Amino acid sequence: MTSIHPDQATAQRLAGLARQATPPPVLDPKTGDGTLIDDPAVRPPLVLNNRSFGEITDIVCGYAENKPPRWWLPVFLHAFGLAQLGGLFILYLVITGIGTWGLNNQVDWAWDITNFVFWIGIGHAGTLISAILCLLKQKWRTAVNRAAEAMTIFAVICAATFPGIHIGRQWMAWFLPPIPNANAIWPNFKSPLLWDVFAVSTYGTVSALFWFMGMIPDFATLRDRADRRLRLNPEGSPYILPFVKIRADQARAYIYGVFAMGWRMSSRHWHRYEAAYLILAGISTPLVLSVHSIVSFDFATSILPGWHTTIFPPYFVAGAIFGGFAMVLLLLIPARELYPNMKDLLTLRHIENMAKILLTTGMMVGFAYSMEFFIAWYGGNKYEVAAFVNRATGPYWWAYWTMITCNVISPQFFWSKKLRTNVVAVWLVALAVTIGMWFERFVIIVTSLHRAFLPGEYHMFHPTLVDIMVFAGSFGVFLTLFLLFLRFLPVFPIAEIKAVLPQASPHAHGHGEHDSHGSAGAHGSAGAHGHGDAGQATHAKGGH
Amino acid sequence: MTALPTSLPHDAHQHGHEHRHAPVEGGLPQRLRGDNINFPQGAGGGISMALMVLGVLLVAGGLAAAFSGAGGVSLKHGIAAYLVGAFTVLAICIGATFFVMVNYLVNSGWTSTIRRQVENIMAFLPYAWLLLLPALAIEIAKGGVLFTWMNKENATDYLLNKKATYFFFPLHVGEFPAFFVVRTLFYGLFWWFITSSLIRLSNEQDRTGDRWLTAKAVRLCSWGLPVFALTIAFSGFDYLMSPDFKFFSTMWGVYFFAGAVFSAIATITLVINVLLRKGKLKGCVSEEHFHDLGKFQFAFTVFWAYIGFSQYFLIYYANIPEETAFYNHRNAFGWDKLGILLMVGHFIAPFFILLSRHVKKHFNLMIPISLWCIAMQVADMFWILRPMAYTPTPLKDANGVLIAVQEATSVGPGLAGGYLDALLIFGMFAIFAGYLIRKVASGPLVAVNDPRIHEAVGHKNYV
Repeated sequence: MTSIHPDQATAQRLAGLARQATPPPVLDPKTGDGTLIDDPAVRPPLVLNNRSFGEITDIVCGYAENKPPRWWLPVFLHAFGLAQLGGLFILYLVITGIGTWGLNNQVDWAWDITNFVFWIGIGHAGTLISAILCLLKQKWRTAVNRAAEAMTIFAVICAATFPGIHIGRQWMAWFLPPIPNANAIWPNFKSPLLWDVFAVSTYGTVSALFWFMGMIPDFATLRDRADRRLRLNPEGSPYILPFVKIRADQARAYIYGVFAMGWRMSSRHWHRYEAAYLILAGISTPLVLSVHSIVSFDFATSILPGWHTTIFPPYFVAGAIFGGFAMVLLLLIPARELYPNMKDLLTLRHIENMAKILLTTGMMVGFAYSMEFFIAWYGGNKYEVAAFVNRATGPYWWAYWTMITCNVISPQFFWSKKLRTNVVAVWLVALAVTIGMWFERFVIIVTSLHRAFLPGEYHMFHPTLVDIMVFAGSFGVFLTLFLLFLRFLPVFPIAEIKAVLPQASPHAHGHGEHDSHGSAGAHGSAGAHGHGDAGQATHAKGGH
Repeated sequence: MTALPTSLPHDAHQHGHEHRHAPVEGGLPQRLRGDNINFPQGAGGGISMALMVLGVLLVAGGLAAAFSGAGGVSLKHGIAAYLVGAFTVLAICIGATFFVMVNYLVNSGWTSTIRRQVENIMAFLPYAWLLLLPALAIEIAKGGVLFTWMNKENATDYLLNKKATYFFFPLHVGEFPAFFVVRTLFYGLFWWFITSSLIRLSNEQDRTGDRWLTAKAVRLCSWGLPVFALTIAFSGFDYLMSPDFKFFSTMWGVYFFAGAVFSAIATITLVINVLLRKGKLKGCVSEEHFHDLGKFQFAFTVFWAYIGFSQYFLIYYANIPEETAFYNHRNAFGWDKLGILLMVGHFIAPFFILLSRHVKKHFNLMIPISLWCIAMQVADMFWILRPMAYTPTPLKDANGVLIAVQEATSVGPGLAGGYLDALLIFGMFAIFAGYLIRKVASGPLVAVNDPRIHEAVGHKNYV
């Protein structure tokens, strides 16, 4: 802070210690919660209700410190139970063999690889938000980046399960990475399947680092808050279990303390943190593109009609971002309703922005679907044409049209601003997209395989109970981990949210003046004269 | 950077954030004063006219030489070289249009002060389309020179008959390419519509100061961009892929798009650099803008390489003859050296050079880099189109095993008759440059009433 206004209240406001002395916002029904402003001269606020720095800390830390909401434990137990059930089916699979799946001689990749690609795709939104949107300086990312990064990690965990259990003889799983061994047996370095092992494990590692590093300052905050409570009132915190004489705050101070890695909020720490964040963002950006590109190579390097097409890499990446954002919306829209004050941090504008990303990436995958069809025809290869006609009209036509309906048609509702700012509509479309993106992988994998060149090689794939339950179990794992994240970890990046508050601007000045003359548009803007009411209200709220 | 706040729009004009090269005092009105963002009436008129006349003469001379066959050149060579020039210019204009549209759609603020220059480049898009027409007219009149699918002798070709509808609908193989012409007209019409509408809205905002025109432009771009994307992809198919009508790649449209934006960013950087050198735009465009433009240049360097590599790699790995023929041709006869130049010059060199923040922010260094990037777009178009001027023929050994493929020409590829390439490519650029100078000099250099202009003048990457 370069200068502090002599007036004590202003000084506190400038330091982010108190709310701004602005009148309560006048909500214009046209702007939803006040963020849906069309006026190009106004930047809508990213955080609502004039929150001070302290309030942001209290809200975010509160999610991890307070007792969880009443719904949390039952939902967690169900998710955990589902994960356990999936684990039992995996155990059955390992004991009995891959024959328990619906695979056959012709369709030798099906449901498991579909799940693998599906989960890897889900994992893309997190790193896209944290890396690419960071490089593009999209400040709205602060509301969703932490949760989306967490989903990345959890989705990669789910994804990694499937190649692991798909190999049949699980005790040979160590063959996947190139480990030197006495028999000099190496995986095939020319195979994209091996590159996949590298790509996914690199991606998982870097994403986890990125996620963890971002949380270090927040861990330190949680540690310090627990420590302070203990100092003020050593008896104030309950025991974590009746028979374990450790207080919750003691556990917090120690565990968060370990993860905070000695963070002391010093400016030197922040300086290095910022540099490291930028470097990780730079490294993660090509990784986001590379992972799904290499997953697409698994298919596209082959000569199988329906798989070999050059647009696969960017098409898979677009599809992954599409599916990833759908999952972010699918989980965060309910969370936003269920947790107190979350709507101040995750506004309708954020939802709308993500809906726009769904619309854009949905059209990208639509473009790729039509390019595949067009070039299959243009290339003049009758097997290629047959593969695509079979997709749309063959025995799996329902899967194809589910994919088209969910992925291409359903996001088109977002051309309407009314629908993309209606959380129920957005949630339903996100659900459709999640289903559609699963079917996309199913269509690519199963319908391309189930009919080879000779009619004798025509087979159908029917999933078995084991197929279905292993997939359901992966959802259980994902939800379990996500619920634990909501319960114990900082769900929002506290410092980054503070940085997008108006009072974080080094020159945030003169709010009082604006309050007095009340004309928020009078910044000498040539284009901003004649503001409407909506503009004024939000200007005031935005703290201009 | 993540946890650091960017300055609010209004602090920019209160605490003038100067950049190194052109310190400016004062607030927004001072920065937007008349002589900072305007050229005197009629400035650049002479040189603009001279360049355009020169360009037309060069192109006309080139075409005449191609028809006459002087110096061992052929009409096929001439058409290919003509398209190389025309398509580089077209690609730059397409990339500029994309840049304007996407920045409207993401409500970007920092581009407010440079948008007018991008619009000036974009304004040439309908004319770049017009420049394509002579080549297409010659093709149709001659019954296919470079576009061999128009040839009567290919009318019985199996593959061509498979895709005949795409070119000849509702007619038949070997007749007038009706559908092809309809598409060409559609591209021209749409490109004219979208560029002129956006420029009209922008100019109207200059006059009226109505900030809602920005929202109008956003609405136009929202449906315009998907249509524009289709015209990019299919114009790439029609003019760059179809001459080799047996080749096909779903990635083709994306590849063309990647190169187009790459060259457009270079051109934008160059134009703004020239204006700064002329003493204009002081305090409106700073090294921070160069930093961001440099980041875009870097991003599209990588994106082009990613798309180009993926396309090459998937075709190489699957090794299907219909597809590999395209690359096999370009891996021999000296075209392989051009391919290596592209790998190094279009990707590796700019990648490492543009990694540095200091380079991106350096006005003087960015001039040769921008020029180089534009040259690489020429090289890319050259690599696609020029080999098609020669037909490779298989060369077999005594046992009938294919040992090589050679180009059926006594002249040989590459530099022979290279004067023709130089004439046509420089001619196209002269016409483009002449138009651009006139256009830039004609109006205010900044969209003065853009509602987000405060953000642009105070733009900082890291606070």
